[in-house]
Amino acid sequence: MLRERDILATLRMLREENLDVRAVTLGINLDDCADRDIRTVARALRAKIGRVAANLVDVCEDLTATYGIAIVNKRIAVSPISRLLEGHGGDAAMLLGEALDEAAAAVRVDLIGGFTALVHKGITPGERLLIESLPRVLSTTRRVCASVNIGTTRAGIQVDAVNLVSATILRIAAASASSQGFGAAKLVVFANAPEDNPFMAGAFLGCGEAETVINVGVSGPGVVKRAIERRLADAPESTLDDLAETVKHTAYRVTRAGELIAREAANRLGIPFGIVDLSLAPTPRVGDSVGEIYQAMGIDKLGAPGTTAAVALLNDAVKKGGAFASSSVGGLSGAFIPVMEDHALSDAVSKGWLTLEKLEAMTAVCSVGLDMILLPGDTPAETIAGLILDEAAIGVTNNKTTAVRVIPVPGKSTGDRVDFGGLFGSGTIAKVNCPDGAQRFIRRGGRIPAPLRGLGN
Amino acid sequence: MEKEVKFVMSILVADHPGIMCAITSAITDQGGNINGIRQTVVEGYFSIILTATFAAAASAEALHAAVTANFPPGEAAIVVRPYAPVAPDGAITGGTTYILVIAGPDRPGILRAATGCLARHGVNIEDWSYHFDGPQVTYIGVLTVPRDVAVAAMREALGATLSPLGITCSLQHENIFRATSEIGPVKSILEGRYAT
Repeated sequence: MLRERDILATLRMLREENLDVRAVTLGINLDDCADRDIRTVARALRAKIGRVAANLVDVCEDLTATYGIAIVNKRIAVSPISRLLEGHGGDAAMLLGEALDEAAAAVRVDLIGGFTALVHKGITPGERLLIESLPRVLSTTRRVCASVNIGTTRAGIQVDAVNLVSATILRIAAASASSQGFGAAKLVVFANAPEDNPFMAGAFLGCGEAETVINVGVSGPGVVKRAIERRLADAPESTLDDLAETVKHTAYRVTRAGELIAREAANRLGIPFGIVDLSLAPTPRVGDSVGEIYQAMGIDKLGAPGTTAAVALLNDAVKKGGAFASSSVGGLSGAFIPVMEDHALSDAVSKGWLTLEKLEAMTAVCSVGLDMILLPGDTPAETIAGLILDEAAIGVTNNKTTAVRVIPVPGKSTGDRVDFGGLFGSGTIAKVNCPDGAQRFIRRGGRIPAPLRGLGN
Repeated sequence: MEKEVKFVMSILVADHPGIMCAITSAITDQGGNINGIRQTVVEGYFSIILTATFAAAASAEALHAAVTANFPPGEAAIVVRPYAPVAPDGAITGGTTYILVIAGPDRPGILRAATGCLARHGVNIEDWSYHFDGPQVTYIGVLTVPRDVAVAAMREALGATLSPLGITCSLQHENIFRATSEIGPVKSILEGRYAT
């Protein structure tokens, strides 16, 4: 029998604390669309996405009506498109990018991920074609999101791929200069990319996944923040382990709501349920910020010494609560720190409290990496490569996912403001220390060998 | 096997310790076995509804007299009726459980408005509770909604009925509350099983 206080607690989370399901992501394997004729491939993938995802949005809207929980984003993640490009050339990648964009629009999905290449151990012709097409694809399509995996704990870091992608990021930004380099916000460079991530821009359907699958990303930074505030109001002398316990219990409830929606969506679509991603994903709205959680814990200036410990505490407690809540936890499952998408983090960067170096330290203990960070437009490719290599080193060495999503904004310099609007938020161009201080190291290329941890067998 | 009779009984009495013992003792002394029971206290008044099975010779009058005898004269209002196993015409025999929460400043007419809307949609109220916080009142209703009722339209009708009274309402499938409050697997909740 439900208790009154449980009902009211859940209702408060839903109505006042921004508890929602951040993304219901439908994974679709497109490998059976392969053909010698690229136009046949494009037709086949349009048809398959249209058929499998036809009811995705309607089902999600019906679930929102039934359960009273908002499903913010309905999205699609497809198997890596680079596999469909093998044996093709010319405009093949652009053609498939356009086909994905149109297919997503036809089923009323705002973003589609999987314009992806997994190059952590080497680059095939199809993967190179995909990476080289990114400036055109990401600047001319609206919904297509791309990702490139450049390292794993088992393979090490493919520095040649990092250099290629870094130069490509500058070309993407230049190609989308009219939208302040926004195209680069749709590309994530991963180390240890998860195959079941429901969050954009890095979602794709991995090689080990089913033909179709429903993965769900929950959210709830506002819920966690309010739980901490209530705890401190009730017991002002609470210690950090008390706060960790509060976060853990809150994460449990948030995760359960996510699994309920995931299973219901999967049942109604006749598609297997995959995973629930526990990640606390902020939006630019006040009250929906991960940075505000750290502030509620007592970090008054985000970036101050102690911030990394607060991130570690939060990330660990979220995982512990989520792991008990569901046996199907996957994806990234941590606390995101996407600077532009979180007003508290963005504010800390603009005040100079939160630096790139501190963000990098924070990413060692949370998911995912240097995310949604604005760089000066004249940042050298080698500097971007250095940022990617540093993040990849953290991920590969610690056997965790890390990623980089940076936007070099054409014509902008350190301290300038940029506003992408909507969920992508606004921010200040970050300062890069010693931007040309490691170029000789980075230009050597090759591969950084796998760490000893990768030889675990 | 000996034939049995079943009665449904309700009792209203000013609350004090020992009421449940007085009622269940009378039933046991009459050879009865309690099958279903629900009890609550509102504003100092104890109320209970229960069903119990007796040997065929038992009568509603005898049971009424036995329970009455365990209270001071005139203290308890007691109703005993033969149990009718078949639901009367119009009763819901199947449906989906929803939770209705309505809240706002207390004033006359809130419940009439809300329950009138529910009745027009054929919704059965299974349980109803309240909570006051100063002048603010919150009502929580557990509802059985017939499967052919358009929930979105009913939610809209409730909102249209209650918002002129300054009252907010939410209507959600019970599983969102069960999933976030219970520890059993979500899969079990969706399959209609209760956590062990």
